[in-house]
Amino acid sequence: MIPRPAMNISPAILKFDEVTIESGALYETGLSHSSLELNAGELLLLRLERENERLPIADAAEGLVPPERGSVRFCGEDWQAMPADQAAAQRGKIGRLFEDEGWISDLDVDQNIMLSQQHHTTRSEEDIRDEALGLARAFGLPGLPRGRPGGLRRWDLRKAACIRTFLGQPTLVILEQPVRGVYADLMAPLVSATRSACRRGAAVLWMVSDPKIWNHAGIRATARARMFGSELNFVATEARTS
Amino acid sequence: MVRRFLKTVAGVGGFVVEHSGRVRYLAAVLGTTLLLGAQPRRWRRGVRDVFTRQFYFFGVESFRFILILAVLVGISVVVQLSVWTDKLGQSQQLGPLLVAVVARELGPLFANFVLIVRGGSAIATELGIMKVGGELRVLEAQGVEPLLMLVMPRVLAMAAAAFCLSIIFVFAAFASGYGFGAYSGGANMSAGEFITSTLRAAHPFDAIGFLVKCLLPALLTGVICATEGLSVEGGLTQVPLAVKHALARSLFALFLTSTIVSVLAYS
Repeated sequence: MIPRPAMNISPAILKFDEVTIESGALYETGLSHSSLELNAGELLLLRLERENERLPIADAAEGLVPPERGSVRFCGEDWQAMPADQAAAQRGKIGRLFEDEGWISDLDVDQNIMLSQQHHTTRSEEDIRDEALGLARAFGLPGLPRGRPGGLRRWDLRKAACIRTFLGQPTLVILEQPVRGVYADLMAPLVSATRSACRRGAAVLWMVSDPKIWNHAGIRATARARMFGSELNFVATEARTS
Repeated sequence: MVRRFLKTVAGVGGFVVEHSGRVRYLAAVLGTTLLLGAQPRRWRRGVRDVFTRQFYFFGVESFRFILILAVLVGISVVVQLSVWTDKLGQSQQLGPLLVAVVARELGPLFANFVLIVRGGSAIATELGIMKVGGELRVLEAQGVEPLLMLVMPRVLAMAAAAFCLSIIFVFAAFASGYGFGAYSGGANMSAGEFITSTLRAAHPFDAIGFLVKCLLPALLTGVICATEGLSVEGGLTQVPLAVKHALARSLFALFLTSTIVSVLAYS
């Protein structure tokens, strides 16, 4: 577990407590008695085995898959104990970059990007669009991509996914192999965005399988862990630096 | 012999249990949808956008088609009724007959039929593809409930479109029927008399029957098609099967509810 500073009395942003999830149709491997704790400002770099990349970690972190044993807490509250409305609202505070892109094909890419903020907040359309535009420029796009997701190039879609992930200053950021296949274009702005997120108090869970990214010096991970089958093992931890 | 009898009874029982379970499920989804729709806080921006788009697709884009249908039906039905009531010396019965045939029965029936073909198939296909493509999970992961975002606005947009299209159908059918009758010399009353006799024949109770016949089948169609689409498992090849089931069940629900309402209201 990542050591928590003694003065920190706020609950961990994400806490897995002895979580066991069986592998099902959706996952190549389950989780077995896995524990982790992510506090504000921390970044956990999690290395996945290449042959076992589809894991229920991100889904469990969002309370989308109930654990058979153990509990998953977000901001101190057990997902399983939350009413559906509250769980939905809490998910609105999580930015997730899906491994398999994850777009609503019926909506344009810019609508996809702004969907969560439009749904969960009362921010004005212009305000959301302005923030998205700023993120688009940070990720090397001239503006918000338009058109249906199917009509965009893969690397532009991945950049759009990054915009969606960081839009609205999420409390928890989950990155599922974000730079796979688009490393050169995306690595620098993504590292910068995760640092900014950590600085403002978000927790980041970054999953990788590529050793090059695992060893990337720019990712200032406060903890590193590896998955061996369904076992989660921490290989290095360091106290959070403010 | 006894074994065969018991097997038949078991078969009938199994059929009833299976279908009553399905009806209960549809009623629960419909009830939840209406309950959610009645809460203003559920109508968030994304939900409103989906409702608007679906209403445009179901209602506005079906306008021309329903107008053509209404004109054709109006010509055939209104002209026939006008001619026969005149021949039988019962011209004063034209209004009640028109209200009974066109407003009570054909208007809601045709509007819902068009919506099943145009909108029901679209709902089942769209949601089926979204389910297979994992898009429901993407919505859930963003804290957007699929029932709220996908089902509720579609079902309510379909009901609103059914109401509007039914009214358009009735007025267009009356107008085209009278117009054609006047043009061909078949109508022997003035436009004013035609309107007066029709309005006089309409009873306040007809408005309730009309509303129920418009809205209930449309709500059921929306729920049936949405649940069929969302129940697709496996791959894309299962989507056409779900659409087929959705359309068949929606048509059955349309005729069943229409008949039940007619029997309850007018018998």
